[in-house]
Amino acid sequence: MASYKLNINSKEYTIEAEPQTPLLWAIRDEVGLTGTKYGCGIAQCGACTVHLNGNPVRSCSLPVSAIVGQSITTIEGLSEDNSHPVQKAWLDVQAPQCGYCQSGQIMSASALLEKNPSPSDEDIDQAMSGNVCRCGTYHRIRKAIHLASKEISNESK
Amino acid sequence: MKANKLNRRRFLQVSGMAGAMLAVGFDSLAFGSDKSTLKMIMPEDLINGIQINPYVTISESGEVTIMAHVPELGQGIFQGIPAIIAEELGVTMEQVTIVKASASRKYGRQSIGGSRSVRSMFMPMRQLGAATREVLVQAAAKQWGVDASNCEVKEGVVYKKGSKDALPYGDLVASAAKLELPKKPTLKNKADFNIIGKATHRPDLVGKVNGSADYGIDAQTEGLLYATIERCPTLQGTVTSYDADAAKSVKGVIEVMEVTRTVYGKKNTGIAVVAETYYAATEGRKKLSAEWDNAEFSQISTESINTDMAQLAQEKGLEHFEKGDFEASKGQRGASSDIKVKTSHYRLPHVAHSCMEPMNATVHVREDNTVEVWAPSQSPQVQRQFARQLGIPDNQAEEKIKVHLPFLGGGFGRRSMNDSLEECFQISKALRKPVKLIWSREDDTTQGPFRQTSFHRMTMSFNSDNRIGLQHKVVSPAITTQSRPSNGRVPFEVMEAINTHYDFDDISVRYSEYKNQIPIHWWRSVFGSTNAFPHESFIDEMAFELKVDPLQFRKTKLKSEPRFIKVLEKLEEQSNWNEKLGENEGKGVAIVESFGSIVAHAVFLKRENGKVSMPKVVSVVDCGIYVNPDQVIAQTEGNIIYGLTAALKDAITFKNGAAQEANFDTYRMLRMNEAPRDIQVHLMENNEAPGGVGEPGLPPIAPALANAVFDLSGKRMRILPFDLQKI
Repeated sequence: MASYKLNINSKEYTIEAEPQTPLLWAIRDEVGLTGTKYGCGIAQCGACTVHLNGNPVRSCSLPVSAIVGQSITTIEGLSEDNSHPVQKAWLDVQAPQCGYCQSGQIMSASALLEKNPSPSDEDIDQAMSGNVCRCGTYHRIRKAIHLASKEISNESK
Repeated sequence: MKANKLNRRRFLQVSGMAGAMLAVGFDSLAFGSDKSTLKMIMPEDLINGIQINPYVTISESGEVTIMAHVPELGQGIFQGIPAIIAEELGVTMEQVTIVKASASRKYGRQSIGGSRSVRSMFMPMRQLGAATREVLVQAAAKQWGVDASNCEVKEGVVYKKGSKDALPYGDLVASAAKLELPKKPTLKNKADFNIIGKATHRPDLVGKVNGSADYGIDAQTEGLLYATIERCPTLQGTVTSYDADAAKSVKGVIEVMEVTRTVYGKKNTGIAVVAETYYAATEGRKKLSAEWDNAEFSQISTESINTDMAQLAQEKGLEHFEKGDFEASKGQRGASSDIKVKTSHYRLPHVAHSCMEPMNATVHVREDNTVEVWAPSQSPQVQRQFARQLGIPDNQAEEKIKVHLPFLGGGFGRRSMNDSLEECFQISKALRKPVKLIWSREDDTTQGPFRQTSFHRMTMSFNSDNRIGLQHKVVSPAITTQSRPSNGRVPFEVMEAINTHYDFDDISVRYSEYKNQIPIHWWRSVFGSTNAFPHESFIDEMAFELKVDPLQFRKTKLKSEPRFIKVLEKLEEQSNWNEKLGENEGKGVAIVESFGSIVAHAVFLKRENGKVSMPKVVSVVDCGIYVNPDQVIAQTEGNIIYGLTAALKDAITFKNGAAQEANFDTYRMLRMNEAPRDIQVHLMENNEAPGGVGEPGLPPIAPALANAVFDLSGKRMRILPFDLQKI
């Protein structure tokens, strides 16, 4: 048992946890941000995806002790008002169905677009195939990423 | 461990959403109620205005609140039912706030399944909306001293015809609420619909892109404990020993206890580990060293199941449908020299539902015998069941037991079984503390209940007089007879999606029940998912034998069914079916009626550099009148992916009585890189009664795929799943 300072969405949280506690459960149950989801626990489905220093990582497989001092962004930190281009595009194409995997999908997509604002279909395949959607929204997710990409490139003009 | 537990006030600060979420249309009550008061705050308690009926409340300032009374699992029903009410009520969706209901008999039946919601509630909810409109109009007419027929409604305002007099609903609600709702209100004409039939954005999706949507697994309440359950790997063994002390030696573990899970009458024992954190519970579980007696089940294997089913396929079986004389068509009808008979065998495996949100439940049985439940369930009305176990009379069940309906992270039929709630209730009842039970993904995959396995013997007969016969012999376990004998009858569910409309001279459909101990349960499209694959693949085999294009063959043989014909014609046109494909391309078609709708798919395959891909799927859906076309399209896209996963990825296989696949590494899901990039869904426009939407797109996808494989490679796929890269 130890005390850990976590920097999540630019806020600092102090939690008490066993060092091996997966970051996922610290975020959900200790900090109370439940947008990040449990799906498999072995980094196979991507429902728990968050950004660690801007990179998409699977929080179910990262011990809380390993990420101290690093910057974490969860779905709740993506924007204050659903205004991130990826969130807007997701709503535009009405991508979610049950929605459970979508936090992870959106975190993977936003990380992709951050690095590669104009991804090809192959780039999308590569960046998104770690995220499982059981409702089968892949087709709309692809559409939404292309749409968000357009908005991002318009913004930067 | 002494966790830095959040108190209720901090939950609200951290998430900052109590008010904001209500504003966008769903309740914030994943957060439970303050323990300082016995009153449990439910969504209904927070609605502003005067209730005209259990579904509709209007405030004096004109805000309209409509309850979403059945669970939302992705199908869009959160908005779908309120939209039907709003249409007849005469308001726009912008004027409506949708609030998730809690479980109560005042809403009638709240369970979902069988692609039934819109089908069964379309008329009753229109009548409810229209009756509500009529009392508002009556209130206005009374105020003006005119007949109701001199009034008209537009966007929540009643107008006196031929004048400028207008009364908004907010001014009328107080007097309207005192009037009796008419039993036979006048319904709108379809031509006057403003909401039904138009693509509208779903209000629940806002919370699904910002993390605020409350699923069952997100339930939070003060002092919440977490539970995980160790289970017998062979499903129905009995526990012989376990080390509770070792589990309790893990810091944070509070209790270890046996719990029971009922699956079709069979009681399965598990060992629950309850702790202050979920991580501590899972660590404690690892130390249980549980031993099980499972000798009775150790002989069960997929191999033995397959052998047994193939054997049963040789039996005559029970009659389901007979036309003409199929047996005679095979040769006893005189001159038999030109009769051709061909038989093929098809097989489909057990599969898991794999909802992205694993099974879970949160229950708080309090010291005073009141209960708060967060039910991630397709059948959330659990009050009476729990009341009986607490000695609460039925007529007090709803007052003492409150049930939240969170969003469901998928259902697919799995969440119509409340086994996780049953387990969680036992734990909380023993501890009198709030408990959240979370099944691990491994529990979720290995413990079932599963989609049934099945075996099919398909036989065709034809002769030079163009006489055609078809027999479909189904062998499978049945869902409804797992805990009782079938008494020589064909269980109602097992014949879904077998198309006896085909105009063959002799048709025979028969069934043999295969009883075994593996529990099975409703799985998206149920027997449609297992029957359509052999049936529509074999129609293709017949077309091939008769040297006819498979789509044209279907058109010829379904000519007495105009809805099928129109769907096929539309598919032919939209998919450019008659265009010649390249040498390394293939196409396949299938058409299936299930759950009151007809869906046809055309699947296109391509082989490039030795790799097979599926660039395109074109679909045509005839579901009669639909509410939100974009949701019909979304459900069909989803059915395609769910069906392709079952066709192309992994089966649940059994060895020594235990499921061998446990998590997404061995039980793989179709992913983005494997999904068709181009999915086109076209809807038929007609005035037929609404059909189902959540399932009918699934049955035709596997046969359309297998038929495309045949077209591409000449190989007939008769066993699912298969690997597209090994065809």
